[in-house]
Amino acid sequence: MYQLTGVAKRYHKGRRTIAAVQDLDLTIADGEWLAVQGRTGHGKSTLLNLLGGLDRPCDGTVELDGTSLGALPETQLTRVRARKIGFIFQTFNLIPTLSAAENVEAALIPLGTATAARRAKIAAALDAVGLADRAAHLPSELSGGQQQRVAIARALVKEPKVVLADEPTGNLDEDTRDDIIALLEQLWRERALTLVLVTHDSSIARRAQRTGVMTSGHLTIRQDSTNR
Amino acid sequence: MFFVTYARRELRQRMRQAICIALGLALGAGLVITVAAASAGVTKAQARVLGTLYGAATTVTVTGPKWQGPSTSPKGTPEPGFGLHGPEICVVGGKCTSAAGKTLSTIDTLNEGISVSRVAAAARLPGVAAAAGGIFLSESSTSWPKNAASTARKSSIPRSGAATPGGRPPALPGGGRSGGYPLEGVDTGHPTLGPLGGASLISGRLFTAADAGAHVAVVDSRFAATHRLTIGADLPIVGPADAHGYTPAIKFTVIGIVRQAAGINPPSVYVPLKAAQDLLWIQTGPSSLHGKVTSIYLAAASAADVPAVTAEVTRLLPGTTVDSTNDLASQVAGSVKRAVELAHDLGRWLAVLVLIAAFAVASLLTMAAVTHRAAEFGTLKALGWRTRRIIAQVLGESLAVGLAGAAAGIALGYAGAGIIAAVTPSVSATVGLGDLLGGHSRLIGGSPVQTAVVPLHPSVSASLVALAVLLAVAGALLAGAFGSWRIARLRPADTLSRVA
Repeated sequence: MYQLTGVAKRYHKGRRTIAAVQDLDLTIADGEWLAVQGRTGHGKSTLLNLLGGLDRPCDGTVELDGTSLGALPETQLTRVRARKIGFIFQTFNLIPTLSAAENVEAALIPLGTATAARRAKIAAALDAVGLADRAAHLPSELSGGQQQRVAIARALVKEPKVVLADEPTGNLDEDTRDDIIALLEQLWRERALTLVLVTHDSSIARRAQRTGVMTSGHLTIRQDSTNR
Repeated sequence: MFFVTYARRELRQRMRQAICIALGLALGAGLVITVAAASAGVTKAQARVLGTLYGAATTVTVTGPKWQGPSTSPKGTPEPGFGLHGPEICVVGGKCTSAAGKTLSTIDTLNEGISVSRVAAAARLPGVAAAAGGIFLSESSTSWPKNAASTARKSSIPRSGAATPGGRPPALPGGGRSGGYPLEGVDTGHPTLGPLGGASLISGRLFTAADAGAHVAVVDSRFAATHRLTIGADLPIVGPADAHGYTPAIKFTVIGIVRQAAGINPPSVYVPLKAAQDLLWIQTGPSSLHGKVTSIYLAAASAADVPAVTAEVTRLLPGTTVDSTNDLASQVAGSVKRAVELAHDLGRWLAVLVLIAAFAVASLLTMAAVTHRAAEFGTLKALGWRTRRIIAQVLGESLAVGLAGAAAGIALGYAGAGIIAAVTPSVSATVGLGDLLGGHSRLIGGSPVQTAVVPLHPSVSASLVALAVLLAVAGALLAGAFGSWRIARLRPADTLSRVA
């Protein structure tokens, strides 16, 4: 469970100070799907970085299962990311020189998983996203949708507690977008994931349990969320 | 396995860049090998030249002071002259006789003697492994034809000719000709300590301790060829003058023929030390060499001991000239000197510059690659990779490039050494012996300069190969370290937002 209390994140740009996130109080329950919307530059990605331990808050605390991520030393924070958090990026962020299977394998390296177990997990993850037959393909040999599926397999292969998706369909066409969201929704349900998904797309946001809107660093939870 | 696959794929992806870095490092390492190999070859050549001229590289040579005796010859000394009736031989304090059809042979030294007891004292100095005395003499002869011109004007006749051994003696007034050859008295207990040390035995044998005082000789191959000497042949050497100025020849038996390096003008004849002491034509008075030597050859225990031995022996034997191979090396001229300068100065700095350039290029390219891969590293950090794991990955790639560069560098180094050996198969060394041996060279044949030609063999040693590998790998890792520093400073949130 995430517990964010009085979280603020400021950036300095020259003499200017930009408040990316301000006075943020938020609780995200285990297994919850929270969609975050908002205009560009209003702090959505910053919030995701704070949740993922990629950034530390200037004020307040971001707790995951009772552990304040901002207070953890870098090595422990890295360990939290390796074990508990899966990331999905808008630009897929696959390593171009590695095959689909090797990209998925990259997520298991920090865990020190044994080779045999690693192979089984990779096969299962690719199978789960429907790319079992594309394991040896390089990202450049895959379509955008397939690349994002590989990225999803990479995020899920370590069986994380949390998946943080930053506009995962932002670079995809409409049909592929629906496929990917359907896949994410299916995996969220099957694996009881905590899913925080940043999106501009209201139709996707509506499929989440709760929707929040970031405006000038402030998060407002919309009361008309689907809440399924 | 993942580590290797990842590195291999990355290097293949950046093939051109990796090749560029590896080639830069290879060029630097190759140049270091070539220069060092050439330098080692030149040093060996120089040592060989000096060894040929003066014995082993650890030899310290002590030469007695130059002859400071009376300007007039002692009574009984036969001297060439020119009288009213043409060339004549005059005995100091005695009468003159016509020189027509006669040959005047004398044997001489230009150095004052050093007591043999000092040889023993020098042998006891710390750092001295062995010591031997030597006598450097010059046999000179002047001969006139029976019909020696009587109309030639009176003029001075040099005591010794300028001809080299075996060479045609220059003409003298009255139709006479003079010639001569250098002769070395060798301590038969240490026959290879001294000029004979640099010679190669091509026939017969060298001296043994049993030869002390015996009338046996080892001759230089060129001298042997000129005088048609073989093993067992008789070699007459002029002995001391009697009361009438008559210098009867003493027969020596040739027991060995040796060869010195090409261009060297070594002693033509080597005889046991005791026999050499007996040969000197002045056998009485202060210039007598009985119980004396003109040179002391000291073998230092190691090359490192040479400076200390030089200092000690200088203190022990004041007034003498002490030379070591260290001193002599600085007086060697010719292409070997130019090669030394080239290898030590230009080559070394060129190698250093190329290495610095290679390191700089490798560092810049690695930094550029890391910047290009910032999003990749940010993603890996987001996946839970520790910074040091990513750095290890980058350093591993750099190491692979460095090893490839080292392998290519070794090949380049061998090729460079081969080219040098092909282009410069030999080097010459010119040494001013007059300064070094207290004027002996004037007796050797008139020229104070000797030139030796020795083969140049650039040698690539295992340690040199290891050094090249070390340099190439160090350069690559240095470049990788710059990249690693950049990675360590990367904030994943920044790189990911930049990509987004």
